[in-house]
Amino acid sequence: MSKTPALETRQLVYAVDGKTILKGIDLRVEYGEVVGIMGASGSGKTTLLKCLCGLLKPTGGEVWVEGVNIAPLSERERMPMRLRLGIVFQYAALFDFLTVYQNVAFGLERHRRLSQQQIRAIVRERLEWVGLENVEHLYPSQLSGGMRKRVGLARALAMDPHIVLFDEPTSGLDPVNAYQIDRLITRLNRELNLTAVVVSHDVVSLMRTTHHIAMVDAGQIIAEGTPDAIRHSEHPKVQAFLKMASAEAL
Amino acid sequence: MREELVWLDEEVRRPTNPLQASLEFVGALGLLLFASGRALLQGRIEVRETLHQMAFIGAASAPIVALTSAFTGAVVTLYSASLLVDVGGGGFVGGAIALAMTRELAPILTGIMVTARCGSAIAAQLGTMKITEQVDALRALAVSPIQYLVIPRVLAALAMFPLLCMIANFSGVGGGWVVANAFGISANSFLQSIRLLTEPFDLIGGLIKTLVFALIVTLVSCQQGLGTRGGAAGVGHATTRAVVLSMVLIFAANYFLADLLFATR
Ligand SMILES: Nc1ncnc2c1ncn2[C@@H]1O[C@H](COP(=O)(O)OP(=O)(O)OP(=O)(O)O)[C@@H](O)[C@H]1O
Ligand SMILES: [Mg+2]
Repeated sequence: MSKTPALETRQLVYAVDGKTILKGIDLRVEYGEVVGIMGASGSGKTTLLKCLCGLLKPTGGEVWVEGVNIAPLSERERMPMRLRLGIVFQYAALFDFLTVYQNVAFGLERHRRLSQQQIRAIVRERLEWVGLENVEHLYPSQLSGGMRKRVGLARALAMDPHIVLFDEPTSGLDPVNAYQIDRLITRLNRELNLTAVVVSHDVVSLMRTTHHIAMVDAGQIIAEGTPDAIRHSEHPKVQAFLKMASAEAL
Repeated sequence: MREELVWLDEEVRRPTNPLQASLEFVGALGLLLFASGRALLQGRIEVRETLHQMAFIGAASAPIVALTSAFTGAVVTLYSASLLVDVGGGGFVGGAIALAMTRELAPILTGIMVTARCGSAIAAQLGTMKITEQVDALRALAVSPIQYLVIPRVLAALAMFPLLCMIANFSGVGGGWVVANAFGISANSFLQSIRLLTEPFDLIGGLIKTLVFALIVTLVSCQQGLGTRGGAAGVGHATTRAVVLSMVLIFAANYFLADLLFATR
């Protein structure tokens, strides 16, 4: 038996309303690895991420987070594991009744024994990481979509999680900011050994930032491997996806 | 006990008939009550959020509670005075209105007004948070929605309902007084009859009722809000159901509470 992976799913099945969205996913994410998940819209990427962090309860199969199968656990039993795992939501999901500062400080104020100054310093630093300044006092409704997304990123990174799940961290961002976010993920991975799962449509950015890519189609992983292996995959759907993506990039 | 049943979608089976639907509603309410009680004993209280909700429920509802009770007190006095003064019972009007307000009208008006004003707002806010994934974001930050969203609202309502009910009592009797004056009943005899006909327990019993109403409004509204599915239409449904169900439950509870508190007196 090899050493414990950071995240692992075994025959993960998720069904809702009589519709099976994930049909037996086997995915393994080692510590210190950046894993990309790509796939068409509606293929189940967001659902997979939410199962990985225990926000959705799988219908079948196992989800192992740092050596614990969280599938059978109750909400209360899952709470401690969430302190070590961050998630960036596809649509930011900022608390709309709190300011940017309060959003980013939310977890820190509740789970860490820190002074107001220390919290302030962390919040400012995380916002700097995502290229935002002078927005602390604004409410989410006063921000642009891309700014919200980056605040969501800062909020997920505030608690120094070991593992972060990014749901399309760069969609809706301009190329410069998207590149900055890619750089940030790479840097956090190199410097802090952050384990990351990145869901993205942006094939170019996935090729750039990840060690391993899984292609999801209709709730199943149809191909996986290193970025190079994916690039040379002969699976027709992967081919089609890459072709369209590169056409788009031109 | 599985508190997440209140908000997880995949475990909610579509109820097939009204009986099953109402059983599931009662089950969800009980679950939420139990989970809140347990979280209250074990976890920390979100003080800032609770104060915020107290201001929202209390301060914001006070004017409408005062206004509606003043008019209700006035209209009840209008009827009772026009009857009693004719038969020479003008001296009982003050007591009659005070009794009606403290035991029944003030608590029920408080319940209805806060349901209309705040129950709908709670359901709409929590429903919006649910469909925009803010509830998921809370959970992802290891904060229980019960701890952060439900308990502050329940505590705030428990603190503010008796206060609002007192406001309703005073403005209801005040409204009655004005009308009684117009019927030529002296202030002295108005107050005298209040002293004669009511006892402290009439007031206390009424306040006890409002505590139950506070639980009903906040738990039903939170349960409907957290259980919201679908988009804006889902929030609309949740809001309507929160108001309707709260009102029905308040009236039903009022009957049983009246039986329990006042029937033998
Ligand atoms: N709560 C739900 N109820 C019913 N169906 C759902 C629910 N959530 C997701 N689905 C369905 O599951 C499928 C996968 O959804 P998911 O959000 O995981 O897709 P995705 O791969 O993240 O797509 P996108 O790239 O557009 O974000 C979709 O077909 C969607 O219709
Ligand atoms: Mg998605």
